[in-house]
Amino acid sequence: MQRRDFFKKSLVVAGTAAIGSSLEAASQPIDGQKISQVAFPQKRPMITYSDRPPLLESPRDVFAQAITPNDQFFVRWHMPEIPTHVDLEKYRLKVNGEVDKELSFTLDELKNDFEPVEVTAVLQCGGNGRSAFSPIAGGIQWGNGAVGNAKWKGARLRDILEKAGIKKDAHWIGFNGLDNAAYYKTPNFVREMHMEELGDHVIVAYEMNGEELPYLNGYPVRLIIPGYYSDSWVKMLSNLTLTTDYQKLFFMDVAYRIPDNETETEDPNSHEKVKTKPITTMNVKSMIGYPTNDTKVYLNSHVTVRGVAFDQGKGIKEVLVSIDGGKTWESSILDDGKHGRYSFREFRYTFNPGKYGKQTIMTKAINKAGEEQPLAEDIGWNHGGYKYNGIDTVTIEVV
Amino acid sequence: MYKYILAAALMILPLSAQEVKEDMQVPYISYEIKMGENFDVIQAQCLMCHSFGYIINQGPQSKAFWAGKVKKMKVAFGMDISDKDAVSVTDYLYQHYGNGKLK
Repeated sequence: MQRRDFFKKSLVVAGTAAIGSSLEAASQPIDGQKISQVAFPQKRPMITYSDRPPLLESPRDVFAQAITPNDQFFVRWHMPEIPTHVDLEKYRLKVNGEVDKELSFTLDELKNDFEPVEVTAVLQCGGNGRSAFSPIAGGIQWGNGAVGNAKWKGARLRDILEKAGIKKDAHWIGFNGLDNAAYYKTPNFVREMHMEELGDHVIVAYEMNGEELPYLNGYPVRLIIPGYYSDSWVKMLSNLTLTTDYQKLFFMDVAYRIPDNETETEDPNSHEKVKTKPITTMNVKSMIGYPTNDTKVYLNSHVTVRGVAFDQGKGIKEVLVSIDGGKTWESSILDDGKHGRYSFREFRYTFNPGKYGKQTIMTKAINKAGEEQPLAEDIGWNHGGYKYNGIDTVTIEVV
Repeated sequence: MYKYILAAALMILPLSAQEVKEDMQVPYISYEIKMGENFDVIQAQCLMCHSFGYIINQGPQSKAFWAGKVKKMKVAFGMDISDKDAVSVTDYLYQHYGNGKLK
């Protein structure tokens, strides 16, 4: 007997099947959380899990549109001390390590001395949707909104490094930002990337949706790595360091890792340590922006479901919608994809609810590689609660 | 007519070139945390680096989970805490934000 079957059966026996899912399965993440009455700088009021460090989530209705507004874009910091002022007279992006000559750039130099590049890309926390996992996975219990999509403008990371001269034996790039810990002993939030991952779309961005970046999203510049989870998109970027060998780092070696096996899952009841790997690229996912849970619509009215879909850049092929609990699926209408393969794609689907009462709407994205969004209950567990991408579901009321 | 457009454009321009010049203020939010034995240690140790929201929004967890978090804060993040206080913090977290499981 499979473990999961065992748990399903024992649940029925125990008469607690009303929970609706087995102990090891995921369900829908929490939704409809309270929006704080307190607004953070340059932001509208958002779902606020913590003020120090700031952890702000976007409400679901933001995902009815492809571009996420800067003032509703989610925020996630790791350190308590984030600079509350950056003096551009003093700000420099430094390049050092295995380079021909160490250089540093002002913000104006980054803007003027390099070819500006634009890329629209999804920024998603690896723990987005973590609250879907059961047993509860470790970490902030995010709902669906630790994700956003923006048009980023900046200089290619490769161009910046080449100006300093990349030495032949430079294999790793380390990134550090201006945020600081309360203790000197706390490791900085430094990240590393192998030179092989350095594509032309990796940029040091100084503009977000046509404006300077909000402080809480990394002003004055942050790293943009399209297709990858946001843990490597270092904010308030201050240092690029090239090294020959991989440097041991807490935020690379311990945090943001998943089981290194084919299904990327592990048994929550086993307390043995599993071999892990970094979370890296994003899986295929769709989210409903409208309607939201508990929206009321009239019988036989036209209801247009709107949402967004994305993956790691392989490209979204279609988004299917089910209004009968997943028995049948129909294609939705996708936007023209003008923002490129790393962006949210908008989808819409119109139907006329024909029955009074509760009505579920489910959406499933499929990418060009044929990868499909799974049902929440088919997603296995991992200890960090990373990479949740279950079929999105909202339940509305037909009146 | 053109005068108005020009005036409007001039009003918009300084905004688009705007920079935040003064210190940004991150607001304080009060997160409701449960009172109880060893709360003074929690207040002294945990608030150094993060809000109570960071604790509350982990969800109810096992004793081993909370012990692991305290260890992580000590070993990986450099929290300056005695072994006795580390046990007090774990006990508090498990008592108020536990899931009833030791492991």
